[in-house]
Amino acid sequence: MNRGALFGTIADMSETDVVTVRGLRKSYGDRLVVDGLDLDVGAGEVVGLIGANGAGKTTTVECIQGLRRPDAGVLRVLGSDPVTQADQLRPLVGSQLQDSALPDRLRVAEAVELFATGRARDGGELLEQFGLGDRRRSAFASLSGGERQRLFLVLALLNRPGLVILDELTQGLDPAARRTVWAAVGQLHEAGTTVLLVTHELDEAEVLCGRVVAMRDGRVLDVGAPAELVDRHSHWATVSFGLPFDDPLASPLLDELGRLDGVRRVERLGERVSVHGDRTIVAHVGAALVRSGPVPWDLSVEMPDLEDALLGLLDGHVAVAQSAELTMTDQLAGMRR
Amino acid sequence: MRTAMGRLVRSELRLMTRDPLVLTFVFVFPVVTMLIIGGSFGTKPDPAFAGAIPAHWYVASYLTVVIAATGLIMVPVHLASYRERGVLRRFAAAGFPRWSFAAAQLVVGLVTTVIGWMILLLVAAPIYGIPTVHDSWRVAAALALGALGFVSGGVLLGSLLPSARAAQAVGLILFFPSFLLGGGGPPPHVMGSALRHIAGVLPLTLVTNAARGPWLGLGTATGSLVVVAVVAVTATVAAVRRTVL
Repeated sequence: MNRGALFGTIADMSETDVVTVRGLRKSYGDRLVVDGLDLDVGAGEVVGLIGANGAGKTTTVECIQGLRRPDAGVLRVLGSDPVTQADQLRPLVGSQLQDSALPDRLRVAEAVELFATGRARDGGELLEQFGLGDRRRSAFASLSGGERQRLFLVLALLNRPGLVILDELTQGLDPAARRTVWAAVGQLHEAGTTVLLVTHELDEAEVLCGRVVAMRDGRVLDVGAPAELVDRHSHWATVSFGLPFDDPLASPLLDELGRLDGVRRVERLGERVSVHGDRTIVAHVGAALVRSGPVPWDLSVEMPDLEDALLGLLDGHVAVAQSAELTMTDQLAGMRR
Repeated sequence: MRTAMGRLVRSELRLMTRDPLVLTFVFVFPVVTMLIIGGSFGTKPDPAFAGAIPAHWYVASYLTVVIAATGLIMVPVHLASYRERGVLRRFAAAGFPRWSFAAAQLVVGLVTTVIGWMILLLVAAPIYGIPTVHDSWRVAAALALGALGFVSGGVLLGSLLPSARAAQAVGLILFFPSFLLGGGGPPPHVMGSALRHIAGVLPLTLVTNAARGPWLGLGTATGSLVVVAVVAVTATVAAVRRTVL
């Protein structure tokens, strides 16, 4: 195969880009996993790759890291070609890989010693920072899931990487461990480290990433800040409040709410009322409640998040712009309620 | 040892001392079976053993059992297990060259073999005595080439087999016939002609013949040594090509 024809140059690559990918394609046998993907990650950015299972996220980062050879496309990572210069590139990329491990009997301090190159930071300091200071003599097999992930993070950061790739970073961690790891990624961002994060945890992407790339079937569906994606792909809101059965104003109020602009559905479940619609209903319902008399003390508003936006994207439509039938987004919102 | 290879070798040597499979199969099994079978045929020269003392015959033979245990069981199981669990992927992602892990396994396998020999000889010395080496260069060449061939074969097996369990199954299937017919089992004169024929073509038998003959003064075994050398070179080249490409 003529490599020159497949792997050309990148005309529109910015000098500040740490990762530039153009037209990346990768198949496993007959199955096309990445289909013409473009991606840019600027210096100091924290960029998230999100999408359903099989979207091609992990394959994409493996190609970026030089662990897999693309079928076609142009890649530039930290100024190197991951296909032809993988050996030079890999030491500059810190990575926490999905479904990988260390030898069971390798101790924590020995792992740090093993992975430390000449440009390594003080491993002891990193272990302390990630709460592994007292586990130095523990074998890898004896570490909890959270401790393993934190050790992988230590190893990813050990050699002062120019790019950190984190694949399913907090998978299987308890909430406290997740927060610790999130804080560590936040510190990386503050220190100007470029991070490419692959995750199914969309709250994680929302908290950590400046930009997210939503993928499906090996293609990019949309790119933007988490809030931008939510704005573009999920417009619904739900306002809930308590309304006693014997409230004489209940019936007229419910009628009025049903007629408000943007309201799609009003539900009464026991003494709890939920009003579903687009985001303008928050103001309209609030105003209607003020007009109707005593303002309920337990009013709550639920707005869409990145998960809703991704579901909207994967559904191929914007949830609230559709018919009054329950969409997947509504079902999810309903489950959460 | 700050190079990737140096760090891997040091780490793997350390891990080898904690691996029950290594301790059992490479260090303990050959010693225990050598003690049992070496004491079963007497300690006087016996024509059935080409005039050698049977215990010495087995002391010389069991050095090659250590080689087989390392090359057929320890190395492939270790390598396949690392690949199956994503350890090799993690090493590759961290910048360890693809060949470095196989090369480290080769070094560790050879070091393990030498340690296994030392343990075996240390245990045999006070009980059966160490037979006088008649042609030390040929013995050294046979053991070195045999170890290289078997450990390289182990690297090759470990890189081909899909899982640690598969490597263990294949390793055991290859090890026990080699062990029983290739030097560690019954002496050739008690085997039937078919078994003797099969034993004669086993790689471990060739290594045993190439080492035991010049050790005990039973002959130079040049033919066996040449075949062992060819096998060692072929296995090493195949292992290198498999792990580099």
